[in-house]
This record gives sequence, structure tokens and C-alpha cells, in this order.
Amino acid sequence: MTMDRHDTIGAMLDEYALGQLSQDERRDVETHVRECDVCAADLRELTIVMEGLAHSPDAVTPPPALRQRVLASLATQPQEPARKPVDGNVVAMPPKGAKIRRGLHPAWLAAAAVIILGLAAALYSSNATRRLLVDDVQEAQAEAGDLRERLEQFAGQADLAVSILTATDMQPVAMSGKENATASTARAYWSPTRGLLIVANDLPVPPPGRIYQVWVIGGGKPFSAGLLGEQGAGRGMLIAPPPSGVAPGAVTVAVTDEPPGGLPAPSGAIRLAGSI
Amino acid sequence: MTRDSHLHATALGATTADADLRLVGRLASGDLDAAGELYDRHAGKVLALARRILRDQGDAEDVVQEVFSQAWRTATRFEPGRGSVAGWLLMIARTRSIDRLRAKHARPDTTGDILLETMPGNSVAPSDQVIANEQYARIREGLGALPAEQRTALELAYFEGLSQSEIAERLAAPLGTIKTRIRTALTTLRRSLRP
Repeated sequence: MTMDRHDTIGAMLDEYALGQLSQDERRDVETHVRECDVCAADLRELTIVMEGLAHSPDAVTPPPALRQRVLASLATQPQEPARKPVDGNVVAMPPKGAKIRRGLHPAWLAAAAVIILGLAAALYSSNATRRLLVDDVQEAQAEAGDLRERLEQFAGQADLAVSILTATDMQPVAMSGKENATASTARAYWSPTRGLLIVANDLPVPPPGRIYQVWVIGGGKPFSAGLLGEQGAGRGMLIAPPPSGVAPGAVTVAVTDEPPGGLPAPSGAIRLAGSI
Repeated sequence: MTRDSHLHATALGATTADADLRLVGRLASGDLDAAGELYDRHAGKVLALARRILRDQGDAEDVVQEVFSQAWRTATRFEPGRGSVAGWLLMIARTRSIDRLRAKHARPDTTGDILLETMPGNSVAPSDQVIANEQYARIREGLGALPAEQRTALELAYFEGLSQSEIAERLAAPLGTIKTRIRTALTTLRRSLRP
């Protein structure tokens, strides 16, 4: 290990802990940390800091309905099989008493054994290669898990959009642009039981450091439906369940610009609005 | 804290962490009651973190559902040696929340996949949970005591998943300044861990 390398990696540890490095940089850090006690100790300390940040918001009491919703959703989800041991020295043996399939000639078995041994020797001749393979497999598994998660998320959004559009209580909301967004057009569909779907076109770029937030105003009170997701070229979309607390009856749907992350109540100028 | 009470607290913490591990074991065998118990123990913290990141109750509740779904599906793969159950759940919560935030703001996802592997839960052995809880309290105090500009930069990195260049752009400050602010903030918080 050279001091240059130690210094370079040491300077990357903060970003590693914050999850800001690319995959290659991350691998460099992990390789170095396995060999360097000083960096390993620094990283352990940084990880505790990250955990402290995760614990820093005050715990809140979740609404009772959420528990029911979460547990109901689990009942329909299959669980992933346990990860198989990755140690190349472990060879799975047939269970005690299991019968080995008959019918293969011993010569074939011997040839197969030679091929398997050859493959095994090639695969495991280098510990470094094996580690890389294991890393790649784990990485691929993590990526596959993440992709599945995203697909489920998109599928959930599509389901919600269909359920809003086909709800018997759905009403279209005629939206029109205000302020500097008079050229903007938007279509909104509101179902008090299913939620809100809004698609906006030709929106002006929000002022620096601002984003668009969508509100459902019912009984004179505004409720955040969420942030308008940017779809590129002035296009924005939000598909969201109904905000809790909206009074039944007439509603107004509005889009305002707000600070990043949005606010619990609108503070910025109304850019789009429409009422039922 | 006296030595005895510290030992007692440590034993309690170990019990709590052990109970969490047993719950995850039951979860892995498809026990829905265990899922309910795990939810009751941790949903408040998970929701708090998701709300802090997303600043939206509905989205944060969706993330809580995603976190417990992922925990349910992958409980069979939980590795106790890699950290606490709470750390694992909060790690998933941060990743999912930042993914959602990025999707909403249509920012390219440059870190989301990485967070799962590098984020909390990978260092604290369950038996050290009480000590860890004391350390978390120090971090929380330390965060509140940071100069505003350092705190803002660190919070944008941690709670919004922004890269240092994105933070520099957001705060209209030079990249070098942002790097220094984050480094100084983290150094201060690390020092607060030491007696």
C-alpha cells in the first residue's frame, strides 16, 4: 500500500459513507479498507455518524390504518430464498437416504467428474477471481432486487392511474394557467376515493431553487397531493392517492411553486388551477 | 450513569436487539405476526426518516410500506453480523425515500443503488446497541450544534442524497467550499463520539 493511495482513498471516505461515489470508486474504497486498518477505523466511525443521522428525526406515531395496509400487503408477497453459501469449498451433498439416479454409466460419471474438477480448478485457482465473481453475483442480485422494486413501483402507479380514471366518482377538472404560466395546459382527474391524476404541458421552468407542488383544496383547506414530477420539456405529472382530510364535495386543484421537498401548506404563486 | 445501571442498560439493549433478531428470524419463516411486532417496534422511526427526507406524509407512508415489504421479502437474507435490525430498516427507508425524491425531481439516479450497501446498519453489532444509542444521541445533539452552513450542506447530502456538485449548485457556492463544509461537519460529529 502506498501513501498516495492511502491519502487518495482517505479523502474519499466521507463521500463513500454518504453514498456519493460511483460503483468503481466504491469498489476501490472497499478494496483498500480491507487492507488498511486506519481507513477501516475511520469508516467505522463515519458509519456510526450516518446511523446517528438516520436516527436523528423524532419518531412519529404512524396512523393506525397504515399498519393494516402494510400487513395486508405482505400476505400477498412471496419471500426470496435464503442466499446460498458462496464458499467454493462447500459442496452440496444429497440428503441422507436420498437415492442417486441410476442409469449413468460409470465412464460418463468419471468424465463428468473430470470436467467438473477442471472447471472447479479454473474457477477457484485464483482467490481474487473468486472474490470478484462473488462480488459480481451479489451486485447483480442487488441490482435485480432494485429493478424489481422499481418495476413494482411503476406498476403500482399505473394501477393507481387506471383506478382513478375508471372510478365511478371521477370528475375531470378543467385546469388553466395563471401568472407566468398562462400558456400552460393541464388535465386533471379527481376521484375522492381513488386520488388525483394530473398531467401538465408547456410549464415554465420553475424559479431557481423552486419546484412545483400540487394541492387539493376542499372545504377551504389546502392538502398537499405531492410534487409534480418533471417529465422533461415543460411536462409534469403526478398520480397520487387522495390526500387524507379533504372534505367531500367541491374541490379545487392547484399547482404552486415551493421550495424543494414541498411544504405542508402553499406559500408560492399559483401557476395552474381548476375547480369542480 | 453508574457502572451497574450501564451494565443493566447494556443487557436491556442486547435483549432488545436479540428480540429484533428473533423477529427477523420468524419473519424469514413467513410469520406475519412477527411482521406486526417488527412494525410496532420500528415503524415510528422509519416513518420519521422518510418524512424528514420526503416532507410529505403520503409519500412517507408509501415508503414505510415499501420498507416492510422489502424486509419481508429479504428477511431470509438478513445477515446479523452486518448490523442491527433498526439500522437495516432505516437504510432501506433512506434509499427508497431518496429514490422517490429523485424520481419526483427527475434527477438522474447516481447513488440510489449504492446506498443500500454503504448505508447504516453495517457496523454496529447488536450487543453494542445501547452504546450505539448513546452515540446516536450525541450525533443528534452535534448536528443541532453545527454552524448553519455546515449543517445545511450535510443535510442536503444525507437527507436529499445530493452529490457535492449538486449541493454546490443548489447553494450557489463553490464546490471546494461545499466539500470543506461537509468534511468539517463530519469531523465535528466524529469527534462528538469520543468521550
